[in-house]
Amino acid sequence: MPIVEKGAVRIHYEEAGSGYPLLLIAGGGLNSTIAGLSGAYPPFDSFEEFKGEYRCIGVDLRNANTGQTTGPLEIDRPWDSHTDDHLALMDHLRIDKFLVRAFCIGGPLIWNLLKRAPDRVIAGVLAQPSGSRPEMRDLFYDNNTKGWAPTLLKQRPDLTPEMVDRFLTRMYRTNPDFVFTVTRDFVRQCQTPVLILPDDVPAHPYAVAMESAMLAPNAEVSLFPWKDPKERVPLAVRQIRSFLRAHRPMA
Amino acid sequence: MMDSVRRSILATGAAATALAAAPRVFAQNTKQGETAMGTFEKGAVRIHFEETGKGFPLLVIAGGGLNSTIAGLSGASSPFNPMQEFKDEYRCIAADLRNANGGQSSGPLEIERPWDSHADDHLALMDHLGIDKFMVHGFCIGGPLIWNLLRRAPNRIVAAVLAQPSGSRPEARDLFYDNNMKGWGPELVKRRPDVTMEQVDKFLTKMYRTNPDFVFTVTRDFVRQCQTPVLILPDDIPAHPYAVAMEAAMLAPRGEVSMFPWKEPKERIPLAIRQIQSFLRAHRPVAA
Repeated sequence: MPIVEKGAVRIHYEEAGSGYPLLLIAGGGLNSTIAGLSGAYPPFDSFEEFKGEYRCIGVDLRNANTGQTTGPLEIDRPWDSHTDDHLALMDHLRIDKFLVRAFCIGGPLIWNLLKRAPDRVIAGVLAQPSGSRPEMRDLFYDNNTKGWAPTLLKQRPDLTPEMVDRFLTRMYRTNPDFVFTVTRDFVRQCQTPVLILPDDVPAHPYAVAMESAMLAPNAEVSLFPWKDPKERVPLAVRQIRSFLRAHRPMA
Repeated sequence: MMDSVRRSILATGAAATALAAAPRVFAQNTKQGETAMGTFEKGAVRIHFEETGKGFPLLVIAGGGLNSTIAGLSGASSPFNPMQEFKDEYRCIAADLRNANGGQSSGPLEIERPWDSHADDHLALMDHLGIDKFMVHGFCIGGPLIWNLLRRAPNRIVAAVLAQPSGSRPEARDLFYDNNMKGWGPELVKRRPDVTMEQVDKFLTKMYRTNPDFVFTVTRDFVRQCQTPVLILPDDIPAHPYAVAMEAAMLAPRGEVSMFPWKEPKERIPLAIRQIQSFLRAHRPVAA
């Protein structure tokens, strides 16, 4: 079980395949784990689909309930603490530039990676990305307060409900708009190619996904819906494959 | 500029080779700005074509049904002009469809083989230019024409983009026959004394009424086993049925599809163009 330690943070990751590096971020919100990249939960198995052409790297999100990545709850910088882990993992693996493909919470995390490391991320694929709905600004705060937080508090005696509340408030309520991590102005000037596969459940608003796709100067977008009927999923996977091939550096 | 000149010379050279091999083939090329224009003759067929850009060859087929012409690519009815969008990465080649009104390609009305006669012209043009393998991007009638090219020359076409492809609606099987009997047919007969409306009727009947289903030129079984990557950008007007476009995309084992709608609002068109660019880049041969 590969682990990288950096200060008080222990990051669990797994690799499969060979080729250009492709960071994979599972869905599941703050419970995003490697296990969530396979099985019945995701629309497709990212390792299986891409390991034939890419060095695929999956990682448990720090403090995900069923994951093996742990570390402090960085109350003043929740999004950045996760981005720190992703960049530290790439550093540990001696990977400078990489592609990134993610579900759900991976949407805001990819935008944050693009802000923090624009020269390292070659292209990003945001599948069913999370975003803030004007009519449900507290959705993520509420869901995580009820879902993720109680289990975490049971596992971690060093954490208090007040700390978790402040972490979630900072993450989801301080600037609850758009894709949480970057502004529309940032997306408007972001030159990194992005492919967005919209969803339309409460946590994955279609309007936000399409707005970011329309704003980003090098964006592409998938058919919609692409998960239902399930026979459409291979079309979306092929588009992701073409997008990644088109943008990865020549060997 | 240098590349256009070089290609024009090369094309003329290819024509000279063809002339030596087949005395009935004739070609001439001229250059206007960055676009090289040419005409070649093969038997009784005369094909007008244009080229622009450099890179892996990309055959571009305009919309407009049987009035598909190069001019249509830059007209108001075309969502974008592929010659302009792709010339920086591809050697873009477009031709007027044989006997299109408003075009400069002409030839016999091959009543028994309408679709194949157009495929003949496209393949002859590629031969004339000395091009073996190529990609193809077609609007509207380009959809059925591309499927026919994939059937006729599967080893020459590397990948294909079918934008707003034509198809047959069960509730409007005679749509294309009727439209062309009213539009294309009478205009053609006016300027071609050798062609009668009876011949036009037979040509259109064979083309659109003999097997009016799906994408006209190939069967679902053909699409199901076609290994060429295809990207389909659906439309949904009477002549471009969404259901047929999606059915083809779902059947093709290497099919990809765009968002829908992709032309409205018009701000979505750049997203579709970028998808086409990625698709073409992903599938063109590495050395290109």
